[in-house]
Amino acid sequence: MSHGNHDQFRLGFLTAVEDAERGFVGGLLITNRFGRPLEFQCTAPVKPNRTQEILYGPTLKPYVLCELIGRTLLEKVGVKPQLVLVESLDLLDLRGAISAPVASLIRVENPSRKRSSDQAENRQSEQDLPNTIKLGNETIAFNPAHDEDRSEIQKFAKHVPVDADLCEPFERIREALVETIRLSMSRSA
Amino acid sequence: MSNVQSDVDKSPASDGPFQGPHWSPLQHIDKLELGSHTLDSLDELLAEVSVMSIPVAMRAEILSSGLNVALHRWPKVTVEPLNLPKSPGMLPTWKPTRQKITTFGLQFPEGISLLAKSKVDENKDSKTSEISPLGGPAMEIMPDYQPPTVASLVDSLAEPPKKKQITRIKPPDDALSIEERLFYLLQPPLQSWLAGQEMIMPFEPFSYQYEGIGWLFSKSSALLADEMGLGKTMQTITAIRLLIRSGQARRILLVCPKPLLPNWQREFQTWAEELPFVVVEGDGERRKLTWTMPGVPVLIVNYESMVRDFAAFAEGEFPKFDLIVLDEAQRIKNRTSRTAVTARALPRRRSWALTGTPIENRPEELGALYEFLEVVPPNATPDLRQLQALAKQFILRRTKNLVMKDMPPRLDRDAYLELLPSQKTAYDMAEKEGVVQLNDMGDSITVQHVFELVLRLKQITNFDPLTGESAKLDRLEADMEEIASSGGKAILFSQWTKVIDWLAKPMAKYGALVYHGGVPTKQREPILTRFKEDPNAHILLMSYGTGAVGLNLQFAGYVFLFDRWWNPAVEDQAINRAHRIGCKSQVIVTRFISKDTIEERIDKVLTEKRELFAAILGDGDDTNVSLSMNAAEIFGLFDLKARHGKGTRAIGPKPAA
Repeated sequence: MSHGNHDQFRLGFLTAVEDAERGFVGGLLITNRFGRPLEFQCTAPVKPNRTQEILYGPTLKPYVLCELIGRTLLEKVGVKPQLVLVESLDLLDLRGAISAPVASLIRVENPSRKRSSDQAENRQSEQDLPNTIKLGNETIAFNPAHDEDRSEIQKFAKHVPVDADLCEPFERIREALVETIRLSMSRSA
Repeated sequence: MSNVQSDVDKSPASDGPFQGPHWSPLQHIDKLELGSHTLDSLDELLAEVSVMSIPVAMRAEILSSGLNVALHRWPKVTVEPLNLPKSPGMLPTWKPTRQKITTFGLQFPEGISLLAKSKVDENKDSKTSEISPLGGPAMEIMPDYQPPTVASLVDSLAEPPKKKQITRIKPPDDALSIEERLFYLLQPPLQSWLAGQEMIMPFEPFSYQYEGIGWLFSKSSALLADEMGLGKTMQTITAIRLLIRSGQARRILLVCPKPLLPNWQREFQTWAEELPFVVVEGDGERRKLTWTMPGVPVLIVNYESMVRDFAAFAEGEFPKFDLIVLDEAQRIKNRTSRTAVTARALPRRRSWALTGTPIENRPEELGALYEFLEVVPPNATPDLRQLQALAKQFILRRTKNLVMKDMPPRLDRDAYLELLPSQKTAYDMAEKEGVVQLNDMGDSITVQHVFELVLRLKQITNFDPLTGESAKLDRLEADMEEIASSGGKAILFSQWTKVIDWLAKPMAKYGALVYHGGVPTKQREPILTRFKEDPNAHILLMSYGTGAVGLNLQFAGYVFLFDRWWNPAVEDQAINRAHRIGCKSQVIVTRFISKDTIEERIDKVLTEKRELFAAILGDGDDTNVSLSMNAAEIFGLFDLKARHGKGTRAIGPKPAA
């Protein structure tokens, strides 16, 4: 027998689902390097008020996800992640509020095109974004204002299996959030 | 400030209603500069403030401004300047504040992390012992793995990539708390969990096995009733590994029949090489020590030791387990037996039962298993509808037909044959004499007596011992002629070696080979090799006892069941020699059933039982394994009556309720 779960590299996956009536519900899943869950935190629905909608305009969503949801969840979580992964470049600003590096998956519009192994094109896109690193089976971008994150993420990258599907944990979070909303609705009904 | 006076009589309002708007148009207000004297007369003022009465409200001749036209005196109008800002502006009264967000959290229990045994020390192939650059051990290469050819790789580039199958663990239906449901929903897909990074899997499970593992993992009460050969053992061991890894279980007890102990040990070594287990064995003191030994995740014990040792512990002192697994759980079908009572008394958090035969004779037997699973109250007797509902929730049963969809089909055809004249005469005589003899025995009759008569009659349906006439042989010869001419191969099963030897002669022209218990073990393998390789060997004559288990004869496209075995499971086993993974074409199975004989009656009983059990365990389950006939059913094959006073009464055991 040996070490347990918690003494290994820990990844945080942060995302949210939007409910038309209730607002945003955020979830943060902390996993070990193989994707096995260590801790999960989620928020109650966060609905911006009219003033916030007017004043934040197009920056409302990043504000809610970064400032309100992301920051809160990362403060609450007991098992602190060494790297937080998000699904949108807009959320890289979260880096300013926490001490761990934040990186976003870079989505390719047409996955089959990506798989068709147009390697040159992929390389080009990585060149276009100098703040990118390969992690698992994905390319991730970190906050350009924190260049020191590159070496930090590279240090972690070797712990993550090369074929690790980094999109998959986000699906789990979404499913858990939908279940949470469903259960809270059925209990309040 | 100034007073403005005007003649009220001249007010247009006094001329009557509806003569103009009662409000001032904006362009007129422009003229009315507050705080100055720009209004020329009272008329103008009235025109501005109230030129007409409101149709309804002004019937009392009160103007909209509040002036009462009945008053004939000058109204007092006071104008006061307001200190309004000269230019537009905003007061900074709003500033962003961080909203307080309510959160909900769930921490996952820390599982036991176990180290796989070092393969380097075992002098195994270095390829299988390589540790991946990520630090995790790689999945072992399958022994029959063939490296891809360049051509296949080129082909695969042209083909769209296959979608990777994902098996997610679903929360069980009875999980109501949000914590419990999220625990299961947030587990990774089994394919990535078992990808060899944390746990070595010697072979990749089939998709239905992934489903079974996920189902077991999420269940506190589960009856895994997969058909024999689908990997119940492997699924159970893997689910146990996941429970231990995820901190859901730390101490597990596996109970199995004594002869299966070595099998379970071997399977644990194969499928969970990192998982320490101890078999409870030896003298009483040693066994007691084993029961209480700390730090052992898995204990394996046989049923007899379990019963004996449980009784040896004082009440409440028997060690508690996170999970108890009963293998061959039909052992507790009699709920009042000591084994069943002890099994139910074992302190545990989860209960799993494994059996390929959840029902052996009566649906009520499931009640005993449900009681162990703690899903029905003690001594409950659920009716058929309740059994069906419970089966949906707590039983997972798959058959080969359901899971091996890629296999070529198995075509069953029952050949109902009329006995030939001499066979018919011999049969009728034997039956008549046999029944008379049994009736004369009265209540001293036993199932063995009836059984002997059944065997005698079945032999006659194969061939008449006097003349050697056989309707089945005639049909077989006709079929074999066609099979041999097309280069096909067939396997024939009978329950009697005597019948096989008798068939060898007429079948010699088709290169018949004989394989039964009378053939020395050393000669058996060459017979199978010859059957496979010799193009003139078209038929292999086998006995159920010797040929039904463990042989791979998937190159044979035809199976003949010359006579019927008592238990369809054994017949299925026999058929599966040919119809198994790897077979390239359909397998045609022909069952010979002699019309208006004992064979037809047995077939009817077994068919009815299959239908009843399929109704409980679900559609598609056509291979309930142990449907052998019980004593009452064997008696029921004949209309046996003993003399009773002037009349008669039925004899034999009462049919099961």
